Amino acid sequence: MNRSALTFAPLLLALALPGLASAADYAVQPAGSKLGFTGTFQGQSFDGTFGKWTAAISYDAAKLATSKFDVQVDLSSVKTGDKDRDGALPGSDFFNVTKFPQAHFVTTGFHQNGAQVIADGTLTLRGVTKPVSLNVTFKPQGTGGTLDVAGSVKRLDFGVGGGDYADTSVIANDVKINAHLVLTAK
Amino acid sequence: MSFRNTEHRWGSVAKFFHWTIALLIIGNGIFGLCMDLAHGPMQQINWLALHKSIGLTVLALFLLRVLWRLANRPPKDEPTSRWQHYVAHGVHITLYALVALLPLSGWWFNSVVGKPLQYFKMFNLPALTDANKDMARFWHGVHENLFWFLVLLLVLHIAGALKHHLVDRDNTLRRMLPFARVRPNSQGER
Repeated sequence: MNRSALTFAPLLLALALPGLASAADYAVQPAGSKLGFTGTFQGQSFDGTFGKWTAAISYDAAKLATSKFDVQVDLSSVKTGDKDRDGALPGSDFFNVTKFPQAHFVTTGFHQNGAQVIADGTLTLRGVTKPVSLNVTFKPQGTGGTLDVAGSVKRLDFGVGGGDYADTSVIANDVKINAHLVLTAK
Repeated sequence: MSFRNTEHRWGSVAKFFHWTIALLIIGNGIFGLCMDLAHGPMQQINWLALHKSIGLTVLALFLLRVLWRLANRPPKDEPTSRWQHYVAHGVHITLYALVALLPLSGWWFNSVVGKPLQYFKMFNLPALTDANKDMARFWHGVHENLFWFLVLLLVLHIAGALKHHLVDRDNTLRRMLPFARVRPNSQGER
């Protein structure tokens, strides 16, 4: 076998096996992208956002088997628009950032429910790892696109707000997760 | 005892409003002053929620009380001097105003701080104004000083009632007491 055949072998393999070709890799544009959540305190919802996070996004609606999300969130960067709450959230009763500075979500697979794509993965938060599924909406724009992700977690599954704060009649157990990512092709 | 007021005594509905609001507002006032004794932020959150819910109850009872009072002529004043008559009615009108202003100033303060307002964990009430944390201390001061003003007027109100009861020995206090019988007046009426 000559050199040129060796050089082209991987390319030929990729063309021959389109089903195994990997999904497109995207870079997240910080401007316009947002990762946050919606909680409920005393019957009133409040929005929180994280200022520092990174996401490795590899996605193609037609190649879900090779798509992947890997998100790292710096929990101390949380902001909810309330001084008391922003002071309490990084503390040991809630995120406990000194012991667990980051949250990590990584997909284990994708499936479809009708037209809706669902990302199945695991969320590691405050030292607890649990399965979490998120609805995925990708809108291609040129070589990039926007990715909207939404789902729900139970804060007490992860021990966020334990002890006195476990009272779900004051702080609801359900917390909605939402993210809007502006993506450009890598 | 009739539900409605008569010429000489308060009816049971007026008495209910008077004593229920009295107990709630004095109890909630003392409770409000004790907020700093809460053990930890969650207890403070729960105590504050209870304080707010009791205050809203006072406001609702006050509105019903005013409607009842407008629909139901109060008993005639016991005979007294002109100046005492004016002082007594001045104190009453101011007390009415304060019973409304205390919960309203609390509601306003809560709105300025931007906290939720939930009635006994059942439903939420809207903010009265936009959040403005720079004004939080000011409105807290208004709320607390209104309470001290109410205490001052209560002292006058109670002193007046006791003076009528112990010195004048008339029915001013008796006709508002829940279970007391009124003394026959000079015309022998009850």
